Amino acid sequence: MREKTPRKFSTTPGTRDVLPPESTRLLDAQAKVLERFRLHGFREVITPALEYSEVIEEPKLRDSAFKLFNPDNQMLLLRPEVTTPVARLVAQRLRNSPPPYKLSYSLPVYRRTGVGRGQSAEFRQAGVEAVGSASPGEDAATIALLVDVLRTLGLRPGTDFALVLGQAAFYRGYLRGAAPDAASEVLAALADKDLVRVDEVSRTLRREVAAIVREIPRLVGPAADGSVMERAARYAGENMEATAALENLGRILEHLQAIGPLDGVMLDFGLIGRHDYYTGAVYEVYASGLGFTVANGGRYDNLLRRFGEPMPATGFAISLERLISVLPEEEPAPLVVLVGASVEATRTAAGLRDSGVPVLHLAEDLPPAQAAEYARSVDAGWVCYPAPDGVKLAAADGGEAEILPAEAVAGRVIS
Amino acid sequence: MRGLRVAVPKGAIFDDALAALESAGMPVGVLREDGRRLLYRAEGAEFIVSRPSDVPVFVEHGAADVGIVGKDVLDEQQPNVVELRDLGTGACRMILAAPRAKVDEVRRSIDHAEVVRVATKFPNIARRYFEGMGRQAEIIALHGSIELAPLVGLADAVVDLTATGTTLRENDLDIMDDISSSTARLIANRGSYRLRHHEVAALVEAMQREGERVG
Repeated sequence: MREKTPRKFSTTPGTRDVLPPESTRLLDAQAKVLERFRLHGFREVITPALEYSEVIEEPKLRDSAFKLFNPDNQMLLLRPEVTTPVARLVAQRLRNSPPPYKLSYSLPVYRRTGVGRGQSAEFRQAGVEAVGSASPGEDAATIALLVDVLRTLGLRPGTDFALVLGQAAFYRGYLRGAAPDAASEVLAALADKDLVRVDEVSRTLRREVAAIVREIPRLVGPAADGSVMERAARYAGENMEATAALENLGRILEHLQAIGPLDGVMLDFGLIGRHDYYTGAVYEVYASGLGFTVANGGRYDNLLRRFGEPMPATGFAISLERLISVLPEEEPAPLVVLVGASVEATRTAAGLRDSGVPVLHLAEDLPPAQAAEYARSVDAGWVCYPAPDGVKLAAADGGEAEILPAEAVAGRVIS
Repeated sequence: MRGLRVAVPKGAIFDDALAALESAGMPVGVLREDGRRLLYRAEGAEFIVSRPSDVPVFVEHGAADVGIVGKDVLDEQQPNVVELRDLGTGACRMILAAPRAKVDEVRRSIDHAEVVRVATKFPNIARRYFEGMGRQAEIIALHGSIELAPLVGLADAVVDLTATGTTLRENDLDIMDDISSSTARLIANRGSYRLRHHEVAALVEAMQREGERVG
C-alpha cells in the first residue's frame, strides 16, 4: 500500500493546483479577455496581493479577507477584490495626469468565506475600472465591453448568458422621498434579497406608498420591452432622485442600443449591488446552468473620496474560473510529440517548429506504443519519428503511420 | 428547456409545501406516489426532496431553481438566495428555554453577564441572539434531542424551535424568551430568478393569489 501523504502536503482548504487542460483554458480565456480590454483602451495595472487592512472599508469584504500582521504589527489583508485597491492606486499615483483613467487587471483574489459552500478561497478576477467620469456613456461602454468579452469567448447573449441591469439610486431615491423613516430598513432587507421582509416593513406605510415599495424590487423584465421602463417611470412619479436615476438608466440603454440589440439585457429594479459602495447603474451576469454570477459591476461614485480624491467611477469584474466553466468545449491545441534521442531528432524538431508546428521533443528512444501513450497523456494528437526522407507521423489514438516530407506536417496537423 | 426544479423539504413542512405548490398548479402528484425516491420528474417540473437544512444549499448553487424552507433555516445559514414569499404555514418560534428549576438561576447568570452554556441546533442564531444582548454564551452545537442537554447537565439552557411547546413541557423546560418566529418561505436561486423570471414570477403570483383566497 502507498504511504499516506502527510496532511500538510495537500493544498489548503479552498485552494487547489490547476492542471492542464484546465489551466490552459484559464490562461487562454484570460489572454482573450485582456486582449478585448486593450482594444477598448484599458491598460493593465498590477496591485500588491497585500494591502493595509484600512484600505478595504466594506464590512462584508473585510470580514471575508485573510488577515495577517507585518513586522510593525500592522494588520494586512490579502486583497479580497481589486476595485478598492485600484481606487487607492488612482488616488495615490495618477492624480497628476488627466482623467478619466481606464485601467484593467487580471489578478487572484482571496476570501475566507464561502469555502465549503462551493466557493474557493483563491480565484481570479479580470476586470476594468473607468475612474473620473460620471457620464452614462461610460457605464454603457463598460457594459458593452463586458458583453463584447463574453461574445468573443463564444457565449451568445440571451441564450447562454443574461446581463441583469439595475440602478441602485432609483429605489433608494424613491424611499428617501416617500418613506424616509423606513428607507434604511427596506434597503437592508433588499441587500439580503429578502423580499418577504420588504413586504413586512412596507405594511407600516401608507397604502399607495406600500404598494410601490413592494412592487419596485419585483420589477424585472427584458430591457428590449419598453413597458418595464414605463412602469418604473410611473412608480417614480414626482420623485426627483428616482426620476434622475431612471433618466440615467434610459441614457445607458440608448448608448447600448446604438451598438446593437438589447438581447440578453434584463432590467431588475431590485438589483442594488452586493456592496454598499454602488451608487448608480449596477449589473450582474448570469450564465445558464450556473447558479452564481459570472461577472458583476457598477458605478461607485463615493469610493474614491476615502482616498482623498473624490471622483466618480464605474467598472466590473469577471470571475475567470466561473467563466471558463460555462464556455463551450474546445478542441485542444495541435501538438506533435517528436520522439528520438538523436541529433537528427533535435534538428527535425526545430525544423518542424520553424514551419509553424507546435512540437514537444521527447529526447528518448521510445517504441511507438509507449510514445503514443505519452502523447495522449499530454493531450498531443500526433506522434512523429525522424525518417530518412522527412518524418514518420501517426495519430496518437492509433492508426497507420505514414512517411511524409517535413514540410507537409503543418498541413496535416493544423486544421 | 426543462421545467423549474423545485427543492421540497422532508419532514414537518413537507405536506404544507406540497399543498402550496399544488395550489399554484404544480404537478406534485408524483411526490405522493412513492416516498422513497429523491428526484421526481413530472410534466413541466422536477422535484427534489431533501433535508430542510439542505434546501438552501441546492438552491444557492442553482441545483434547484426554487425551494421551500423554514425561515429558521434561512436565519441560521444566511444563504445568498432570493426570498420571495412567506407561505404562512409551518409556523413555529425560536425560543430560549431552561429547566423549570433552573430558570431563575439562568436569568441571573444572563443579567450578571456570566457565561451561559447553551445547547442548540442553530449555533449562528444562538450566537447572534446573545451577542445582540451584549452577553456571552458557550454554544454547544447538537444535531437532535436538544431537550436532553440541560437534563443531563450538558448545558444550562437551549435555543430551539417549537411549534406547540409539547416537547418542552414534557421535558420540564420553561420558555424564557422569544428569539424570532418562523414560517415556510419560497426561495429562488439568484440566476434562476432572473434567467427564468417568467416562470418563477408566475409561481409566486399563483401562490400569492391562493394565499389571499385562503387567508
